[in-house]
Amino acid sequence: MTGQPEVTDTTAQSVASFTFAFDDASTGDKAVLGGKGAGLVSMTRSGIRVPPGYILSTACCHEYFLAGAMPSNLLKEIEARLTALEAQTGKQFGAGPTPLLLSVRSGAPVSMPGMMDTVLNLGLNKAAAIALATLTGNTRFMADVLFRFHSMYSEIVLDVLDIPDSAELDVVLEPLGDNPDPAAVYDAVWDFCQSRLADMGEEEVPQEPREQLVRAIEAVFRSWNTRRAITYRELHRIPHEMGTAVVVQSMVFGNLDQQSGSGVVFSRDPVTGEPGLFGEFLSASQGEDVVAGTRTPDPIARLEKVLPATFEDLTSTVARLERTSQDVLDIEFTIERGVLYFLQVRSAKRTAPAAIRIATDFLDEGTVSDHAALQMLSVEQVRQVQRPGFDPAEVREARDGGQRVAEGIGASPGQVTGFLSLDPDRAVAAAKTGQHVILARQVTSPTDLHGMIAADGIMTATGGATSHAAVVARALGKSCVVGCSDVVIDSTLKTLRVGDVVIREGDAISLDGATGEVFTGTLTLTRPAAADKQLERLLKLASERSGAQVLVRATTVEQVSAAKADGLAGVVAAAAEVLATSRRFSDVMASLSAPEDQASSFSLLEDVLAEQFTPLFAAAGDLEFSIRAVDFLTDKISDVLDTRTIAVEYPYLAMPLGSTECIRAQLRGISRAAQAAGSTTRVSLCPRNVSDAAEARALARIKGELEGAEDIGVGVYLTSARGALAACDLADEVNVVWLELRLLQAAMFGLPADYLLTREPLDRYSSRGLLSVNPRDSVDPSVTPLLAAVARSISERPASRIGIRVSGEISERLIGELYAQGFRRFAVDSGEASPARLALGKAVGAAT
Amino acid sequence: MTDTVLDTTQYDVLNTIALKKMASAQGIVDATGVAQGDVMSALSALQSLGLVATIGDQSLPMDDAVPALVATSNERYAALRIDPAVREMADKFEVVNGQFLTVISSWQQIDVGGRKITNDHTDSEYDDKILSRLDKLVARLIQLIDVLSERDIRFDRYAVRFARANDQVVAGNLAYVSSPTIESVHNIWFEFHEDLLRTLGRERNE
Repeated sequence: MTGQPEVTDTTAQSVASFTFAFDDASTGDKAVLGGKGAGLVSMTRSGIRVPPGYILSTACCHEYFLAGAMPSNLLKEIEARLTALEAQTGKQFGAGPTPLLLSVRSGAPVSMPGMMDTVLNLGLNKAAAIALATLTGNTRFMADVLFRFHSMYSEIVLDVLDIPDSAELDVVLEPLGDNPDPAAVYDAVWDFCQSRLADMGEEEVPQEPREQLVRAIEAVFRSWNTRRAITYRELHRIPHEMGTAVVVQSMVFGNLDQQSGSGVVFSRDPVTGEPGLFGEFLSASQGEDVVAGTRTPDPIARLEKVLPATFEDLTSTVARLERTSQDVLDIEFTIERGVLYFLQVRSAKRTAPAAIRIATDFLDEGTVSDHAALQMLSVEQVRQVQRPGFDPAEVREARDGGQRVAEGIGASPGQVTGFLSLDPDRAVAAAKTGQHVILARQVTSPTDLHGMIAADGIMTATGGATSHAAVVARALGKSCVVGCSDVVIDSTLKTLRVGDVVIREGDAISLDGATGEVFTGTLTLTRPAAADKQLERLLKLASERSGAQVLVRATTVEQVSAAKADGLAGVVAAAAEVLATSRRFSDVMASLSAPEDQASSFSLLEDVLAEQFTPLFAAAGDLEFSIRAVDFLTDKISDVLDTRTIAVEYPYLAMPLGSTECIRAQLRGISRAAQAAGSTTRVSLCPRNVSDAAEARALARIKGELEGAEDIGVGVYLTSARGALAACDLADEVNVVWLELRLLQAAMFGLPADYLLTREPLDRYSSRGLLSVNPRDSVDPSVTPLLAAVARSISERPASRIGIRVSGEISERLIGELYAQGFRRFAVDSGEASPARLALGKAVGAAT
Repeated sequence: MTDTVLDTTQYDVLNTIALKKMASAQGIVDATGVAQGDVMSALSALQSLGLVATIGDQSLPMDDAVPALVATSNERYAALRIDPAVREMADKFEVVNGQFLTVISSWQQIDVGGRKITNDHTDSEYDDKILSRLDKLVARLIQLIDVLSERDIRFDRYAVRFARANDQVVAGNLAYVSSPTIESVHNIWFEFHEDLLRTLGRERNE
């Protein structure tokens, strides 16, 4: 959403400033002109040719509601503006030889739902319609425009729901023969459309252009008070007095002669990011022809051959616009008798790879600053390009080797491999055992939902890209292929058949939800090769600017190596998770259940830790390696040692510093691993749930007294309000301090920390309005002062390693807030390091 | 068992369970508008007919549930199926349904140079336009539902549920547009579509 709008008092303005032409507006104020109007005025001022028009200011909206009808002075002004527009364009409203057609659109100072959509081609009466047919030499075109206008006006201004299908126009025109008289065509089309409205008991479309215009303007004003618009304003605290402006703009014709045409261009390729104009152009056509697909447009390069001067004009204007807006633009244009008009200029949507290429190219071209280049990329785009995909070589082999059994419509992107399931219940059961499942259905119904949720990928024999199955798959973010029409599913035999190929339930298959390909067998998922040099460069820039350290969670050698390859500051690991990867894990757990806090009961723990951490340290090289000590209270380590049993039978394991021997054993194990790996890494062991300086002191003493652990650091994980408030004192005792945000939030809500990891139960609960903050996606205000306390300790002890552990998907906003508070050390989940680095880089102000 | 013909309340309750695949008594009350006590007695009747299994608070349909619904709707809606107003409504629904799925798809994905990319909902102007269209389509569907409600009042619950989902969307809970795990506009629409097909005795073709 755009921020809170500025509201200026317009009531004091004279009647003369009710309306503003684009080219003589005395103000550029959004509050007066609305967002769209201000944009058009600003474009006109900077020399970009837009079709002339004028704006009814937001003050007109007030007047309209005050008077309860169109005020007469406003009607006079509209008339005067119309006359001026006729003179400026050399066209005539509601007449020939060159009819003036208008577009009418709403333009509130802030964008909001519920406002009136655009009405195009307004101004057609019989005289204007005949003139249009004569001028374009194309009666069919006139019929199209008239039909479309009538439908659009009915739908948007009159709120008629049931508008005729475009195919019905053919039926209307058929009796008139091949070369019909324009007047007859006008009558036939108009009468058909009007009588349809009359049959339904609807109001008719006014015949006279001036009335069409005034009524459309009134409809814009009324849309300010649709239920949705009102609710939206109340929710976003937008004042109801603000009102909406109305933009009235002349339409230009791209089909007058061979010197005319229309098109859509991007200032760079939005799919690849490659520099140079990208888009389509259609000579002697209106924009609607391109949209309707009635004629196939040419690549934009064709314009250079047809109208070289206009092409030059387009190229240079687009380049200039790109430089001034510092953005890739999406532009609609029309050429009327050799004159280029810009209909719409907006920021171009782009794919994630394009966004990366564009940001680096803009940097190289000197178009943007380092700061601005980082703002051009989102964390979601970084996640997208890092998502694993099929190994390209295997895909080629699979295609060549006949493994591609079906090609449907790619409805939701993503490359997945899994076991085929033909029934939603069986899909759920298989997914529960930890299997990856591809659910295949002939058709999908609401009763398949649970199966679709459980599956990794979905394929259907029927349906198109806009079927229920496709919609559900996209909403779930699951890979989906629909419309595999050759596929036959036999639910009795539990087979999926394509021609001679028979795939049984439980067999492996692979889906590509972008290309729509279905393969038999498995395909290996790999991280995109050459993890993109351009992205690497942007992330490096982000890290340089933020000066922040990002550590990533790692449990395996591959994850540690990846962190090193990504140039991260270090890794964080949980000792319990690393233990769990050992074959001797259950033995370790059994050994801990000894009756006393004895050295002997921890010797196996020490041995296995030494064994497991050796390869990890070897892979880490000089990376920092911060290890969370085994936490018997919060980690769900073993059924034997659940929270209740521990407190009664092994109370010393329940508290962070409860067992000196347990801490010693972990320190010794880690220390042995470090020596075995010959690593230079800075290792630290950090118990969790610490909240007192005395605990930290005890920890430091245990380590200090232990021989051979000189190179190992100690630290703490703070998980409580008490711990956060004591951060300063704790930091004086130990080398490393982590604040664990999720656990702290959970503690503030008095909820188990697990609840913050899954959608249920919190999302549904808070969507009922029962919690003002959902701790899964925002920092609660009660936590903010605690973060401030920790941030204070950071600024007071710059040499201490005080950081924050953020689990789950990071959000740009959260990371930005933490950075602003003074946090400079972050530990994030696997896969979230690059997004976090970008978010940190983006959080740095423009001036630095 | 396929010959089982259910009474009105039993049908409404079983229909909801079958559509949702799993429903609590409270959820059934909400979706059917049937009073809590009547839902409970319908549930126990359905259990003894072997059409429903109840585990804890949740009821699930058994294998014979859908055949029983089909058999019952063949009788219950025989007149409705040949009613010209209903047939016209069903034809109009096909058109609105197509428009609706297109709008929801544009809500999820944006066309960029011939490639679909996920809508990240950062362009409020784009989103606002789609939500305005969605509003109109839901309003239009509710008009169509009225044709059914005049003949069987149970359909009126869909209008209530749409209004509620819509309030959530307006309040900024955008997941209520198409999330499959909550009472989103698309979920309610999907259920209505299935219900309509069963009511009319038609097959889903996609």
